[in-house]
Amino acid sequence: MTLVKEAPVRPAKKRSAAPAAGRRGRRRENLAGYLFMSPWIAGFLLLTAGPMIASLYYAFTSYNLFTPPKWVGLDNFTTMFQDPRWQKSVEVTLKYVVVATPLKLLLALGVALLLAQKRRGQALYRAAFYMPSLIGASVSVGFVWRALFSDDAVVDRTQKVFGVDVGGWIGNPDYVLYSLVALSIWQFGAPMVIFLAGLKQVPQELYEAAEMDGAGPLRRFWNITLPMISPVLFFNVLLESIHAFQVFGSAYVVSDTRCGPADATLVYTCYLYQKGFKEAQMGFASAMAWTLVVAVALVTAVLFWSQKKWVHYEEAAK
Amino acid sequence: MGTSRNVERRTILKAAGATAATLGLAATTTACGGDSGTSADGTVTIRYAWWGGEPRTIAIKKTIALFEKKYPKIKIKPEFTDYEAFWEKFQTQASGGNPPDVFQNAVGFLRKYDKRGVLMDLKAQADAGNLNLENFRNGVLANGQVDGKQIGIPVGANTMALVIDQKAFKKAGVEAKFGWTWNDYFAALQTIQDKLKIAGDTGYFAIMYLYDLYLRQNGKAFFTDSALGFTEADLTQWWEDGYKRVKSGLVADPKKIEQAKPKSGLSAGLAASEFTWDNFSIRYQGEGDSDYGLAPIPTTDGKNTGQYLGSLMLSAFSGTKHPKEVAQFIDFMVHDPEVGKIMGYDRGILATTEQYDAFKPTDPNNKGVAAYEDEVAKAGVLGKITPHPSGADVVEAAFLRIGAEVAQGKTKPADAAKALFSEAKAAFAG
Repeated sequence: MTLVKEAPVRPAKKRSAAPAAGRRGRRRENLAGYLFMSPWIAGFLLLTAGPMIASLYYAFTSYNLFTPPKWVGLDNFTTMFQDPRWQKSVEVTLKYVVVATPLKLLLALGVALLLAQKRRGQALYRAAFYMPSLIGASVSVGFVWRALFSDDAVVDRTQKVFGVDVGGWIGNPDYVLYSLVALSIWQFGAPMVIFLAGLKQVPQELYEAAEMDGAGPLRRFWNITLPMISPVLFFNVLLESIHAFQVFGSAYVVSDTRCGPADATLVYTCYLYQKGFKEAQMGFASAMAWTLVVAVALVTAVLFWSQKKWVHYEEAAK
Repeated sequence: MGTSRNVERRTILKAAGATAATLGLAATTTACGGDSGTSADGTVTIRYAWWGGEPRTIAIKKTIALFEKKYPKIKIKPEFTDYEAFWEKFQTQASGGNPPDVFQNAVGFLRKYDKRGVLMDLKAQADAGNLNLENFRNGVLANGQVDGKQIGIPVGANTMALVIDQKAFKKAGVEAKFGWTWNDYFAALQTIQDKLKIAGDTGYFAIMYLYDLYLRQNGKAFFTDSALGFTEADLTQWWEDGYKRVKSGLVADPKKIEQAKPKSGLSAGLAASEFTWDNFSIRYQGEGDSDYGLAPIPTTDGKNTGQYLGSLMLSAFSGTKHPKEVAQFIDFMVHDPEVGKIMGYDRGILATTEQYDAFKPTDPNNKGVAAYEDEVAKAGVLGKITPHPSGADVVEAAFLRIGAEVAQGKTKPADAAKALFSEAKAAFAG
């Protein structure tokens, strides 16, 4: 089937003209390519594709790791949707995504705009702002964050100077999630670099022309910069929201492995982890994982659909 | 042409298949091989895993060295982490058929892993003369028995206690005496609050093992063989009272307790007392800057504390390749007097008479623990340990978590009790 489909794609002229020896050479080249790729292919099949298919199967079973999985149909999903802790984890995650993503992108864009201008020590600034993203994923930052936002620590004391006393964010179910938001915002380096690259692509003539027409900086930003970098913005929104849906490490470390207090930082993956590895309900955890996959796919689809309305590609303009 | 391309594909598939198979085999060998096996010269290696802090690890490594000297043909490969990580790792290892040969265990996990066939019945090894089941103090050996099987060998015995900040209690002029009631206890907290302006307790109502004592004082227990031994109304009442005391400041602000972690609320100076296992009390002196002592558990009727001896144990993997060596190792670890001297009361009061007699505590902490358990034993209040059904560990974690939600005012006691019952049901079924 595939062979037939593939055949017309190949340029017919080349094929007929090529001597048999050349064809064999290319084939050998292909084979060599596949051989070199084989560790990756094997790794993908064994470590990614295989487990994914297994987990799709487990999602419909009751599986405690010890006794063989038992087929239960949609039971995991129905229990999941009724589980108050699952609902809570969805709520916490959505809150995190909706608050952290825009703020992070806003800061990334703001700093990128500043850094796009030519000034002395530019490289140093760029490196300095990118730095947190390099170390951002590490567990140690989680610990530092916990120390910063605890009772009577830096943040708490600074707040008190301004007459705000919440007694530390880490122990307070109403605030602790925002300490995670702050951590995410702090790691704005990656989208910033992408924004910077986008800003470099904007043709200077446009600004010059606009300036001649008497457009102020705000107007230039709104009517030139933003539309011109909208593909980059779209890319960043997409990437960062997907990323935010999968937040785990910071929540796990900052709240001392319990994703609390009072489940206040019970992000989706944290609950999934607890279900799978603490309570040994692998079937339920797999169902949760696949629900997340579908949810993220839906969000991605909606974003792609919406881009027609606000993302400006140059080809489309022509 | 079609044929030749097919051949080509087949070759590639073969190559890929071969690679996958090789990788797969390599993965299997790494996973299963471990280091537990017999080497050419007949030396046997067994894996030994435990949880605990650094002092315990240092002490245990010393005991391992001692064992290897006495049994040159047996090598011990140590594995250790903290409590939470230990059980996560263990679960994965055990489900893959690759748990450690010998490991530290506790009553909350016995049935769970017995049900899953992970634990070895050590009776056969005792009958074969590789392990001595005599000389255990206060009938503590029974803690490792489930349905007539001996699946755990106790290394130490402990019981619940109230750890108090002695300076604070003295300053407030309150005394913790044997036979005091819950009303006396809460009155003491009130006096501490009035005189010292600090909370008296760090959050008693979220500790499952303390609630168990309270229930036992009232003729119930936390667990039956297969379910919870109390009603939703019981628990609602317990948590309602607890929340009231948080609001009034008798119990420390849970927000502050949360942020003091991993330090305990007591050693952080957030409250004047805390319920915990007596052998844990050794940590406070190092953590805090007051003097800490052990006080009796409050009672309902002035007599019965509901207490029993809990214990940490050593268990063995049912599928170990070296059952005899494993039994010899456990025997050495629980009976050898030298081991007792090294371990002290880190895992509770030493369980066998050989070790108990060998270790004479000299520091005030260990002395205090010994004196406390002596006193409890003399009072004659010790009862038999309550059963822990499979899933008890999950219920304990849920109790702590939901109790904290109540304390934070995020869940109403009645809803919280309902949530615990529903989570417990799922845990027992799993």
